[in-house]
Amino acid sequence: MDNKNSLSGKYAIAGLGMVIGVPEKELQQRKAALPDHPMLANAVASPLGDLTAKDLEAEAARRAIEDAGLTPHDIDGAVHVHGGPRSGGGTTTHLDAFPRMLGCPVNFYYLVGRGGAWGTMGIVSALSFLELGLAKYIVIAGSTEDWTRSHSSEFRGQGNRGHIQPSTVSSMWSLPFGRTAAAHEHSMFASRHKHEYGTTERQFGAAAVQVRAWACKNPLARMYGRPATIEEYQASPSYIWPYHVMDMAVSSDGAIAFVLTSAERARDCPKKPVSVLGIGFGDSQGGQWWEGAAHYTKLPVAKAKEAAFGQAGIQIEDVDVAQLYDCFTAELIMQMEDYGWCAKGEGGPFVEAGHIGPGGDTPVNTSGGLLSAYHLADLTGISEAIFQLRGEAAERQIADARVALVSGHGGEVISPGMCSLHSSLVLGID
Amino acid sequence: MTWKKPAPYTTGTLRPFWDGLKERRFVLPKCNTCEAWYFPPAFCKNHRNEPFFGSLSWTEASGRGKIIAFNITQVALRTAFKDDVPYVYALIRLDEGPIISSNIINCDASSVYIDMLVKVVFWQIEDLGVTIPYFEPDPSAENSALNA
Repeated sequence: MDNKNSLSGKYAIAGLGMVIGVPEKELQQRKAALPDHPMLANAVASPLGDLTAKDLEAEAARRAIEDAGLTPHDIDGAVHVHGGPRSGGGTTTHLDAFPRMLGCPVNFYYLVGRGGAWGTMGIVSALSFLELGLAKYIVIAGSTEDWTRSHSSEFRGQGNRGHIQPSTVSSMWSLPFGRTAAAHEHSMFASRHKHEYGTTERQFGAAAVQVRAWACKNPLARMYGRPATIEEYQASPSYIWPYHVMDMAVSSDGAIAFVLTSAERARDCPKKPVSVLGIGFGDSQGGQWWEGAAHYTKLPVAKAKEAAFGQAGIQIEDVDVAQLYDCFTAELIMQMEDYGWCAKGEGGPFVEAGHIGPGGDTPVNTSGGLLSAYHLADLTGISEAIFQLRGEAAERQIADARVALVSGHGGEVISPGMCSLHSSLVLGID
Repeated sequence: MTWKKPAPYTTGTLRPFWDGLKERRFVLPKCNTCEAWYFPPAFCKNHRNEPFFGSLSWTEASGRGKIIAFNITQVALRTAFKDDVPYVYALIRLDEGPIISSNIINCDASSVYIDMLVKVVFWQIEDLGVTIPYFEPDPSAENSALNA
């Protein structure tokens, strides 16, 4: 499998910037306990008060530019990434955009995104602009204010888990049937996987517990300082059975931005360049009529993996650290199977054996993932991959990480292409 | 009783579906040529199509199917559903092929299982002038093509 193309390794991430919301009281405690911790430099008090996602995004972009050793005047292209007009979270598109706020003399401000692959879609777009010679340094940025929104009067009393969405999402089929949270749709994966392969609630819980353990090594994570045991998971209420609260991602305030440029230019920047080695997409809507039940036990990983791994010239064994889209635990277990870390149907036992958590041989979601850290779709995984590859991941650093996989997932739900999107992004360091 | 839940969107390309329910008819788009069923409407994947779904006819379907996946909401996240908990939201593979999602009613939530046979319930909401397609256990075992 070697389909290296001319773009593989030609472009690199030269700078990263991020701002993540941490509940105000916890933020003070964490800063007092860990003064000068590098991850806490990325924290902002949540709820956001007078700030908005737009402001966070401009600040993240400012930091990314600084991290790359550049000034706003060097940035000649901008890509704003988001979840698409109908997906949960991150739907903001900014009329007053970060290039203007920062004074970047951009040739274009491009908006792109869908489902949970905003970051990877943004990279694909930026690569085209770079390849056409339309820009030298492009900032890709995305943001969300889901945490603040979930605490606003409009949503008060509805909790903050499971990505509660307003009933104003037009034309959504399932609202009259009590579809009040994303878990109402995503748990269909868990239900079907249990049925087909005998996956147990304890195994879904094992995924949540191990990702939580990673979050406890990341003071920026929402669930930092809250280790959980499988017994606690099993004793917790199952709000939307078979899912417990811990099976569901957190909602977040935050923004993540990075600078993409040629590998050649990136070498002149102060930080180690993180090369874009491979990108692939799969979509389960493609050519289907109704896949029926089979559609609910796997994700469209095959084509995405083949393309991305082929361009990068790697096999699954070459992945040192994986940042997989874990909006819910079933997605994580299915990806362990679909990428080939274990056989189909064995994702539950594989995870239960402790492979993915700290100390495991297949480290997954070392930031604490979407489940326990912060949910900015695949930007969460991209930022963590950059930290790992640069050796900046502090307590959670994977020794000698050279190849990182980031996946994205999502899209429309239930009818008929259930979360049909999958993206694979392979990043690496020389 | 006043309907406090979100109202369904009964316009657009699904209007004939909702109109059919009002007459207690469960209609789905069916290809005039190859008899493939769709839901929601799509261009038939098997051959060339007429403009704007012109190759499909809304045709009465069995209203029967089987559950392929489901969840049980134990705690209502919106007050409009608090009288319903625990409630079952299920994916139903209709006998004709397409998948639809709805609530399973007229049974204990704990009695619902995957592969359970279900049939449509026409639930009339007078103050909205809308009939909702819920599903309930289908006790007759031989009326499902999927049972064969």
